Amino acid sequence: MEIIQNTAPHLRKPNASVVRMMRDVVIALSPLVVLAIINHGLTAVWIMLAAVISMALTEYVYYQIHDAIHRNREGMENLFDQLAKLKKELKEAEQQDQKDTLKKQIAEIKQAISEKKRESKREENKKFHPINKNFTLYNYSILVSGVIYGLTIPDATPLAIVIIGGVVAVILVKLIFGGMGQNIFNIAAFGRAFIALSFGGAVAVANHVDATSNATVLGELVAAPFSETGYSLTTMFTGIGLPGTIGEVSAMLILVGGIYLFLRKSFDVFIPLVYVGTVFVLAVATMLVTDAGWWFPLTHLLSGGLLFGAVYMATDPITAPVTRPGRIYFAFGLGLITYVIRLFGAYPEGVVFAILIMNIFVPAIDFPKWSHTQFNWKRAIIFTAVILLSITAVMIGAESLAGGLNG
Amino acid sequence: MIAKTRKVSDYKQLNTELPTVRFVDPEKVYLNLTTSRCEEYTLDVKKGDHVKLGQIIGERDGCFFRQPIYATVSGTVEDKVTMIDSTGIDVECITIRNDFQDTYHESITDRPDSVIEKMTQEEMVEIVREKAVVGLGGSGFPSYVKLSTKEPIHTVVINAIECEPYLSSDYRLIKDQPDEIFQGLAYIMQAVNAEQGIIAVKKTKTELIQVLEREAKRFEHLNVKIAKLGDYYPQGWEVETFKNATGIKVPSGDLPMKHGLLGFNVSTTESIYEAIKHNLPITKRYITVNGDGIKFPQSIRTRVGTSVKELIKLCDGFVDDADKLELVIGGPMMGVAVKSDNVVVTPTTTSVLVFRPIEHLEEPCVRCGSCVYSCPVHIQPVSIMQAVKRNDIDAIEGLEANKCIECGLCSYVCTSKIPVTDYVKDGKKKIG
Repeated sequence: MEIIQNTAPHLRKPNASVVRMMRDVVIALSPLVVLAIINHGLTAVWIMLAAVISMALTEYVYYQIHDAIHRNREGMENLFDQLAKLKKELKEAEQQDQKDTLKKQIAEIKQAISEKKRESKREENKKFHPINKNFTLYNYSILVSGVIYGLTIPDATPLAIVIIGGVVAVILVKLIFGGMGQNIFNIAAFGRAFIALSFGGAVAVANHVDATSNATVLGELVAAPFSETGYSLTTMFTGIGLPGTIGEVSAMLILVGGIYLFLRKSFDVFIPLVYVGTVFVLAVATMLVTDAGWWFPLTHLLSGGLLFGAVYMATDPITAPVTRPGRIYFAFGLGLITYVIRLFGAYPEGVVFAILIMNIFVPAIDFPKWSHTQFNWKRAIIFTAVILLSITAVMIGAESLAGGLNG
Repeated sequence: MIAKTRKVSDYKQLNTELPTVRFVDPEKVYLNLTTSRCEEYTLDVKKGDHVKLGQIIGERDGCFFRQPIYATVSGTVEDKVTMIDSTGIDVECITIRNDFQDTYHESITDRPDSVIEKMTQEEMVEIVREKAVVGLGGSGFPSYVKLSTKEPIHTVVINAIECEPYLSSDYRLIKDQPDEIFQGLAYIMQAVNAEQGIIAVKKTKTELIQVLEREAKRFEHLNVKIAKLGDYYPQGWEVETFKNATGIKVPSGDLPMKHGLLGFNVSTTESIYEAIKHNLPITKRYITVNGDGIKFPQSIRTRVGTSVKELIKLCDGFVDDADKLELVIGGPMMGVAVKSDNVVVTPTTTSVLVFRPIEHLEEPCVRCGSCVYSCPVHIQPVSIMQAVKRNDIDAIEGLEANKCIECGLCSYVCTSKIPVTDYVKDGKKKIG
């Protein structure tokens, strides 16, 4: 029996683990996946497979190369240095017997290296570890990114574009920053925005036989901000038969997933609440200054990727601030930017842009000089002032926009 | 799990139910000559001398205070040995072979109540100082310093929370000797002239509340209140106890005395009673032996200076089927893992815990924020960890790492099983 020393605390919380958190997100996403397959059939299957496999395979290949470069020399730097030195001497040596001895030494060192490699491999096989420690399929992280990315894609998007988006997003956002936990942008949001901006028209919704038009709810809203869309609120809530991206359309199932994640405490419920709340309040404020009815805020709430983005993308802890006030500021910023892009911008992808823009501000929100874990009176007053100011600005903007459209 | 965590599983059931085992007569006791605070000492006895229980055999020094060393048994002085104390460091100890006579030293005489009633604060402080009473919750801070406060004190709070899991030594003490605790509280209140006393205890420990409330009726003239506080960690942290028991919030860096509060651990209170009433130094204490690596966990009342090896033997030893074990002195959240079982029971040793080590798969931080939500002092352990990794002193200062109380909650809740507390401790050291 041997006594070993660990540092305190010697207890750990039993069911707190990254695997559990990520697996919960996958479970919460599964009804959406099922609905996507019911709504779109094989198209949805192909898009989702393309998204997940492109991301996972990119990461796998990257880490195979990465490990091949790094693992080979681990703990053997000494031997490699000696080998290089001897090889240099061999080149400079003139006499035959000197060359022979050097060659002999080189052979010995090479043998030592190969022996050590074999030994370390044996050691590695003994220890418990996931097949490739850095490859994050074991903790569902890459699966989550892939499924979320797949669900945000409209059904008529060519598979090649889906694959390009996945590969680029994983390499540019995740891998070159150092893998899991290091990315500064949400991977899925980046992939979605990347294909939207690069391929424009190709990322589109297909013609549906039973639908009156091929425009999404949000597409109609962006084209004509204050006229009612052709879909009833019930359709938008259930999401059955609604054109749009393959997985974002059902508010009902997203709420079910959100409630599951909340009960399992696998996300911070403040982010989606504040995010959706901000959009709703701004939409109500707009409603007050234009002659739109209650359908206007409700349509904004239920359409597009707002609920999906709020529940699954904005809550990605890696790209959110770490403190509760920070997360509330972050979610408020998301709501404001989403709404401004929707109302005044040309793209319907307000949610992914808002998420990417607010991701940039996360390090600023978390900056040690002013980040804080509790509200106090001063902060609350300033934050309230900012909220009121943004509501006023949106109201003024909306009024002039409505005036311009009418006149 | 992204959530504020305050509850830590308790694991106390077994040890609170079993009766206390009395093991007060070890063959040899080892008295530590140095502590982590006092690194110098003088020794007045030599090998072969006969000492009596309660006799001064030397003096610890090297700090802002001097502390006499008392023999805790009567017997013969033997060699010096090196052992590990409750803070995990090597200390020099003097061995005394027990003669099982328990002959008390001449100075150990009871003080009559009539004398104690007339004692002033200075006299009581002098006794407490001379009898080397220290904070027995684990801090080891000399109690006379606290007791000699010149600030006006209105409330004395006795901390009986014992919020660390597995520990039950204070629990056993309250059940076995409630009278002594109330007497000790009475003496402290007399010394600092406080208006009221509060005994803070977890509201889930109903048995203790019953015992204490019955006892409080005996001491009705004292104005003692039993504060039943929530069962969460770190409720036993002084500031948290004060806040919940009295409603007074002591800001970080302030001494509680400034706010009219004085806090003592229950075991300390009991030792103060022993010192003032019986003129006794700390000779015995309650120890919890617990954990999944021990065959028969139980609470033991033992002599200060007993070897931990003997206590483990008393609990049927380590489990047979483990080839690696972890030996922790103190609670599982803040305790120290020691390098061998060559440990000695000092006055500040509260427990011996033996665990089967669990290897956690450490994953990259996903910034879930659980540590930030759970931190009792409202700092940001994850940001401090990142600042420590890049050695950014400004950021560590800006994030107020010095506020950390090292409670261990951030590591406990970490979803990625990262030892966050270690990084924060590092950060504290870096900014001094």
